[in-house]
Amino acid sequence: MRITQYFRLVDIQARMILKADASKLTLGYLWWFLEPLMWVAVFYIVFNLILDAGARGSAEFLTFLACGKFAFIWFSKTVSQASNSIVAAQNLIGKINVPKSLFPMAVAHESLFRQCAVYPLLLVIVMLFGYPASPMWLWLLPVLVVYYLMIVACALVGSYLVCLVRDFSQFIQLGMTFLLFTSGIFWDVRALGSPEKTELILTLNPLAFILDAHRQVLMYQIPPDLAILGAIAVGAIVIIAAMELLMRYTSQYLALKVLT
Amino acid sequence: MSLITDRPVMLEMDKVALSFRAGKSSFDHGVHHVLKGVSFKLYENETLGIIGRNGVGKTTMLRIMAGILKPTSGRVTMRPGKTASLLSLGLGFKGDLSGRDNALLAAMLQGSTRKEARAFLQEIQDFSELGDSFEEPVKTYSSGMRARLGFTTALLTHVDILLIDEVLSVGDAHFKDKAQQAMQERICGQQTVVFVSHAEQQVKELCDRTIWIENGRIRNAGHTPTVLADYRKSLQANKPQPD
Repeated sequence: MRITQYFRLVDIQARMILKADASKLTLGYLWWFLEPLMWVAVFYIVFNLILDAGARGSAEFLTFLACGKFAFIWFSKTVSQASNSIVAAQNLIGKINVPKSLFPMAVAHESLFRQCAVYPLLLVIVMLFGYPASPMWLWLLPVLVVYYLMIVACALVGSYLVCLVRDFSQFIQLGMTFLLFTSGIFWDVRALGSPEKTELILTLNPLAFILDAHRQVLMYQIPPDLAILGAIAVGAIVIIAAMELLMRYTSQYLALKVLT
Repeated sequence: MSLITDRPVMLEMDKVALSFRAGKSSFDHGVHHVLKGVSFKLYENETLGIIGRNGVGKTTMLRIMAGILKPTSGRVTMRPGKTASLLSLGLGFKGDLSGRDNALLAAMLQGSTRKEARAFLQEIQDFSELGDSFEEPVKTYSSGMRARLGFTTALLTHVDILLIDEVLSVGDAHFKDKAQQAMQERICGQQTVVFVSHAEQQVKELCDRTIWIENGRIRNAGHTPTVLADYRKSLQANKPQPD
């Protein structure tokens, strides 16, 4: 399949997923905004009102939560959904020989459309809570590009594993909960009390680094550490290329796995 | 008149076998053998029928010819530069999308650009006779309507080898006739076709040669009426006797 046709198919599949999703629910596209907002509300009630964790003041804590959760949802929803996408396309795979990476790629692409609407809301929230827009916010662009690459890489790996052994789908759900707790969404990775520990988490957990970079840029106008950002980008690109090749090479094996 | 077997070969299967591990068992009896060494040649512009009971490997054979699956052993050779495509009902329709969106998606999956696919849409709407339902979600369709949409979308495929899996036995009588006629037009033209069906009458009308598959092997192959007669005889012989 030609590369132009491949991307055309990724694009049309992504648009169709959007359309189908929106038509299923009464509130349709509104859920894109409602879901992260509701998560932020839940965290706020638990951590600020019940546990008194947000000693720094509610506006700051809410902004902190919003940055972390909005960004995390992009990752967790896309990777979970993409992981099951090849298996879910069973009907189609039995009838036509298409590159299997098409399905996770379409899910990632669809999530990109979604985020184009969700991120402006995040920026409005940040501004409303007293963090004015600044040219430094442009640093968010490279962060988002690298984040997207990272999501695509994880989506491809996840979908491949679930295709081989369906049980991986359960592991991925558990993995998302693990990441929710270890990536500093409702606790501050910079307030751990030990700079070495902070350094270690930011270097070892790319997701924690990306979430922290969102806050550093939007709340404190500090650019991200380019060395780590670059390393994540290179790592993601290598994984994407390797997975594409692997999926192409094992396309018919994957089809057999899906169909039997 | 020249014989079909004198024509150039489009596709050849040579001792093709396919097996897979069906259950959790890691021993050999967990392995399911679908095809066990199937060999035949498909010639240019012929219509080849494949018959056999349920679960003998007919669909698997088509999937191997279409390049969807790879044989565990044996070889499939297609003439260079030729394409094969499986024409099957409902190319993975998404229930929440309208008939129009599903048709667009199916046409693009079969290789059309978005513009070409859009141009097909009117034709699909007309032929399928879906009318205003074309804009409704496919989940609201009756099975006959789904079949009509599926058949019409699939009919647009333009490939060198058309692999047809049980598509003509659906819809109401009026649409069935229309579908068969459309199919016949394709077959009479310059088209190589492999046709899987349980409808013996259709096989008789459409196919030049027929292959009978039993237990993953070719039981008989050749002139359609002869193979069909043998097949029918075997079905009658294997009928369970009343106690």
